[in-house]
Amino acid sequence: MAAVVEIAQLRKSFGEREVLKGIDLTVAPGEVVCVIGPSGSGKSTLLRCVNLLEQPTAGTVTVLGVEVTDPDVDIDRVRTHVGMVFQQFNLFPHRSVLENCTMAQRKVLRRSQAEAEEVARRNLEQVGLGDRADSHPTQLSGGQQQRVAIARALSMDPALMLFDEPTSALDPELVGDVLSVMRDLAESGMTMLVVTHEMAFAREVADRVIFMDDGQIVEQGPPSQIIGEPREERTRTFLARVLDPTHHHEA
Amino acid sequence: MTSPSVEVMPAGRARMSPRKRAQYSRVVQYGVLAAVIVGVALSTDWSNMREQVFNLDAVRQMAPDIPQAFINTVRYTFAAFAVAFALGLVLALMKLSSVRLYRVLATGYVEFFRGVPALLVVLAFAFIVPVAFQVKFDSVIVTIALALGMVSAAYLAETLRAGLQAVPKGQVEAARSLGMTSGQTMRGVVIPQAFRLVLPPITNEIVLLTKDTSLVYVMGLSIPDYELTRLARYTLNNVAVGGLTAFVVVGIAYLMITIPLGLLTRWLERKTGAKGHI
Repeated sequence: MAAVVEIAQLRKSFGEREVLKGIDLTVAPGEVVCVIGPSGSGKSTLLRCVNLLEQPTAGTVTVLGVEVTDPDVDIDRVRTHVGMVFQQFNLFPHRSVLENCTMAQRKVLRRSQAEAEEVARRNLEQVGLGDRADSHPTQLSGGQQQRVAIARALSMDPALMLFDEPTSALDPELVGDVLSVMRDLAESGMTMLVVTHEMAFAREVADRVIFMDDGQIVEQGPPSQIIGEPREERTRTFLARVLDPTHHHEA
Repeated sequence: MTSPSVEVMPAGRARMSPRKRAQYSRVVQYGVLAAVIVGVALSTDWSNMREQVFNLDAVRQMAPDIPQAFINTVRYTFAAFAVAFALGLVLALMKLSSVRLYRVLATGYVEFFRGVPALLVVLAFAFIVPVAFQVKFDSVIVTIALALGMVSAAYLAETLRAGLQAVPKGQVEAARSLGMTSGQTMRGVVIPQAFRLVLPPITNEIVLLTKDTSLVYVMGLSIPDYELTRLARYTLNNVAVGGLTAFVVVGIAYLMITIPLGLLTRWLERKTGAKGHI
């Protein structure tokens, strides 16, 4: 089957600073790919280049068979099939939870009110928030808001889900709920590209882990190899800091 | 081991505690206020004031015309605001446009109409525009709505632009990542949130407009078109004694419009605040 995401020689600069220095990456259907790496390594930028929230400087990005780096691409159409979950949730605070999940269905997919609500409620149920449809985002905890954000993205029936550090803004005790929703989603066969600092999640759920540093992919492979026995020194240093933050000087 | 001692109360003149000082300062402030009020009250010629400024006979004479003038003031205000809001929103969007010419045009408009007195614009609409374009506005309200609306739009444009830009970028990204077009995002996500942010300055603008409707007097009105200030001037010239009372009456009438507006805004803010908080 054709790849869901195909990235070739992707470069991205912000002014003088080159953040991505030639990335090649392919994501197969149903694959869960976790991208790890130190902050500033370009992993979020990489993710944002996939649905063109950032305009790449050079290289090609092909999503679901459509080259999104083509200047004449109908990006809104591609985005319809690509769900995205942000670090800061970005729920619409002026709309109820249900309306958050129906707005784009109505406006973009032109679904009827009844159908949109049915889809929304089904997805809210799936993330464990079926009873909060009439709440407003500000009445929810961070973990609940993030799960609504996932339901909102799923309500568009995407073929690919992008997660940009979805648990980084959460209180520690709320991280688990979000991760378990993501694990269920992965098990249901969703193709996922996940930027994360959650090594336990990457180890358990990912089919492939990518370690990025300084705008490049340093190494990639199955989680047991990248997180368990990294070959590259930079990967080892990074993992030592993340997994054992107080003792990394002795390593 | 003994800890180093810190001298908490240095020797010397006993100082007042901060609490005592604050109390003392409050007493002084109340004292000053009371002195000013008493001073003004004592130096006022009350018998003269009663005859000239608080004359009930004058109130009785103008009373029949007050409701119409009150309604006219409100009508002129809201007609002007409708023009101002529509035009102001267009200008704000032009200022944020990716087309440079639009940005330049909007900036030019704002600078011009912010810079000339509203009175001049009203005069222009009353006397110059009809000549220039061979149009004749058939009612006072159209002229005043266009004139004051165009001035007010210049101020509103800046307010609305600031409001639109204050909506977090993540909101736009979330909407766009769901496949919504930039227009759908603007209408469905950005404008509703910006609206709440700009509610207080918009109220301010309506209050200013309410008072600016008094500028219609330059157009030369007939009595049914009088608004509050024009009615007051008319009364001043047409009652034998106590004409100044009219200004007190219309002053109260203006407050009856503007104070409820302020309350309405606060209520709206609270109402949207519960769920519209970012």
